[in-house]
Amino acid sequence: MEYKYVGKNYNRPDAISKVTGKAIYLDDVRLPGMLYSAILRPEYAHAKILSIDTSAAEKMPGVVKVVTGKGCHYHYGDNIRDLVPMAVDRVRYIGEPVAAVVADSVAHAQAAVNLIKVEYEPLPVYVDPRDAIKPDAVLIHPENGEYWHLPTLKPIPGTNIANEYHLIKGKGADGFADAEVVIEKDFVYPHGSCSAIEPHGSIVWFKEDRTVEAWSSSICPFIIREDLAHSYGVPVSDVRVHTIDVGGCFGYKSDITVEQTVAWIASFVPGRPVKWVASRQEDYTSTLLGHGMWTHMKIGAKKDGKLVAIQVKVLHAGGAYADTPVNVSMASVHNSTGPYEFDHCDLLGWTIYTNTPPVGAYRGYGHQETQFATERMMDMLARELKMDPWELRSMNYLCEGKVNAQGEKYWKSNGDMFKCADLVKQKAFSTPKPKEDDTYYYGRGFAAIMKSPKGAPFSTKGCYMKMNIDGSVSLNMAGAEVGQGLRTVARQVAAEALKIPPEKVRVYSEIDTQFSPYEWQTIGSMFTTQGGRAIIRAADKLIAILKNTASQVLKVDVDYLEYDGEYVFLRSDPSVRVSVKDINRGYITSDGITIGEMAQSCSDARLPRYSNPDQNGQGSIGVSYTFGMQAADIRIEKKTGKIIVDKVTAVFDVGQVINPKQIRGSVMGGSLMALGATLYEKIDYDENGRILNPHFFKYHLPTYKEAPEWDVEFVETPDPVGPFGARGIGEHSVIGIAPAILNAIYDATGKEFYEIPVTPVMMKSALENKG
Amino acid sequence: MSEKITFTINGTLTTVEVEPDMLLIDVIRDVLNLTGTKRGCDNSTCGTCTVVVNGKATKSCNTPVSKVAGAEIITIEGLAKGMELHPIQKSISESGAVQCGFCTPGIIMELYGLLENNPNASADEMTQALNKHLCRCTGYEPIRDGAVMAQKLMQDRK
Repeated sequence: MEYKYVGKNYNRPDAISKVTGKAIYLDDVRLPGMLYSAILRPEYAHAKILSIDTSAAEKMPGVVKVVTGKGCHYHYGDNIRDLVPMAVDRVRYIGEPVAAVVADSVAHAQAAVNLIKVEYEPLPVYVDPRDAIKPDAVLIHPENGEYWHLPTLKPIPGTNIANEYHLIKGKGADGFADAEVVIEKDFVYPHGSCSAIEPHGSIVWFKEDRTVEAWSSSICPFIIREDLAHSYGVPVSDVRVHTIDVGGCFGYKSDITVEQTVAWIASFVPGRPVKWVASRQEDYTSTLLGHGMWTHMKIGAKKDGKLVAIQVKVLHAGGAYADTPVNVSMASVHNSTGPYEFDHCDLLGWTIYTNTPPVGAYRGYGHQETQFATERMMDMLARELKMDPWELRSMNYLCEGKVNAQGEKYWKSNGDMFKCADLVKQKAFSTPKPKEDDTYYYGRGFAAIMKSPKGAPFSTKGCYMKMNIDGSVSLNMAGAEVGQGLRTVARQVAAEALKIPPEKVRVYSEIDTQFSPYEWQTIGSMFTTQGGRAIIRAADKLIAILKNTASQVLKVDVDYLEYDGEYVFLRSDPSVRVSVKDINRGYITSDGITIGEMAQSCSDARLPRYSNPDQNGQGSIGVSYTFGMQAADIRIEKKTGKIIVDKVTAVFDVGQVINPKQIRGSVMGGSLMALGATLYEKIDYDENGRILNPHFFKYHLPTYKEAPEWDVEFVETPDPVGPFGARGIGEHSVIGIAPAILNAIYDATGKEFYEIPVTPVMMKSALENKG
Repeated sequence: MSEKITFTINGTLTTVEVEPDMLLIDVIRDVLNLTGTKRGCDNSTCGTCTVVVNGKATKSCNTPVSKVAGAEIITIEGLAKGMELHPIQKSISESGAVQCGFCTPGIIMELYGLLENNPNASADEMTQALNKHLCRCTGYEPIRDGAVMAQKLMQDRK
């Protein structure tokens, strides 16, 4: 649909501050009297702490305080309260905070921290979730089951299973009785890192008036506020958290990560702000990782290709603390069907404690890991059935009238998988691929994807807007800008809703829990949907205020009035009008008496009827869905096994494009992250749980030269939930890349891979094995 | 022992009294409070700390300050003339190359080092320069677009 401002390119409101170096990120914050901290990490990934000797560190120059976890009696967490800010009597992963030094400079803090001596009693280390669930495995959390947790979670006491999520639809596993063909396979999506270029960091300041002020490179300032208030026994209103510019998030800054640790450290030096910023190494070892999923998938179908049943078992190496990974595991389970309807589902997921850094979101919660399996399986099933893989998929796509794994019925407005597939087929498969030559094999592959938002039923996003005396509008929200461009979206949606040019809408530049409207947290590709709806609601209220005032000024009933951004006027005679400039702070009559309300409004929006899953994993836990397809054109160098992705094609049904330039950037960026995961990126551990590659020169992010050519397009089937038909897109582009590339590898060479990254060594070895 | 080290930064003659092995990035960020230069890694890999020293793009995170005595340094803060953006800043701000913006100052300084010396740099030289910088947001295409736009603006300016 044609809109005046939505669907057009506008520059980001923060672009100028970012190209002039004036944007302020966490490490750029300077405060009077600020102290700096360095944190000691353990020598073992799993051990009891026998003693800590801080005496040598305390004598070092510039040292103000040395802190340990001794005496820390609180746990924290939003889902499972199993986290501690600093190790108390045991360490559970190699990056865990053991002790810290607070000093007058970073250099002094770092010089002293290494002099802290710790005596450990090592315990068995579990890096692989399959080892952690063996019956004789030592418990990483002997308290498992005793921690406070959300009522929807099911820890299994006496095991390392922090949560079991079991979804049954139809006859569950018994549904395979109706199948004529069954295939099954194991897939691995190993731990990776979001690796934003800005490392994590936080500043916490316990003040003498018993308030707490904090800054964080996090996208959940309101959760940090509530968590710190709870841990330190102060009213939520007495904790003030700032989120300023964030140098990339991609998921791993979306939960509480380092803030409680920095708060614990700062609580020992009340009156002084304490800053801590992760080194790149610590960003890998001591914040959240992504993925870590071992997926067993079984699919049953009729001979004609009709899908019948799916069984999935996800073993999720959730890391040393389960608070953040549980949502990732759960989403990986109920989204494991991909964009297909199965009458019978038996989907099981275990979040397993392992001696690895905790897992959090990675551009979404648990979609890419299991749909990697689904989309590889669809190609394998097509071969088994001797069917065209496009036809097999299109027979089974979720679409109007179909019912997904959670029992949610699909509507036309949930999007059009068929159109996405047709476009990709036309763009990427209409010409013959290059013929094998002396140097290369050539291949093409594709994958269909489905993504639901991930949130909580109470998740909401607030919006406050005020119209200024000149008719311009100040828009205040609490969506964290991490680069995804939500402030551009907010500006365009507000402009459209208020019928004023985007240039007259000034969006917020930072979040401050003292002034910003409440937002749960900026996750799950939900800002456009929920935040956009909140803007429309606030705009409707603001326009109603203007009309109410105008009805008094123009002496006419309010329903006879129209608003066009500049005037409120009589529908039947537009010459009877009053300028919004004259009424937005109330209307001043000839004798000075002023009537009417200020043109300001507040609102928020949740997803409609979003629910918790019931005991069988059924419920409206998606509400809004986005479909899409991605394809890869690849070359494989025969001599080296090196895989080169020449082109990525991506089509998503986003309902309505808000900003074409920005949405293209989002899809390219996400696709390239997933390309990295498919070919290069993996956290490597030794058997003792040490991370072997916690640096950019060892953990290889895709570079400029490795970026493919891009063909990106969008289908627009309007969604009635989001603003002007738009739905989320931020995380979707990471989902289809790995299966598309691995399907292309098969197309090029006939070699099957079920695990990523596919390195040149793996590829070459597969090529040499002629079998 | 601290030493006095003098250099010109963004056109201003400046003397700092610091340990000579202090890294240029720390002098720029923590002594001179020019926080536009960013730190993204521990071992000179990501490129976001890049500044221009004597006309050449240089990683400030592995340059001891003693090496820049007498040098002419330009940081991201030194590019715009008042309200007027440098053509590279203008192009990068409009091409979609800015998302989170954390790699942006380094990339702009890299291009400045390249294109101010050689506005007719070849596509290959441009690629070599940009390949020194990690960006996690954009997929790189908009950075290339911005670089090409900037080059055109700089070739056309007189």
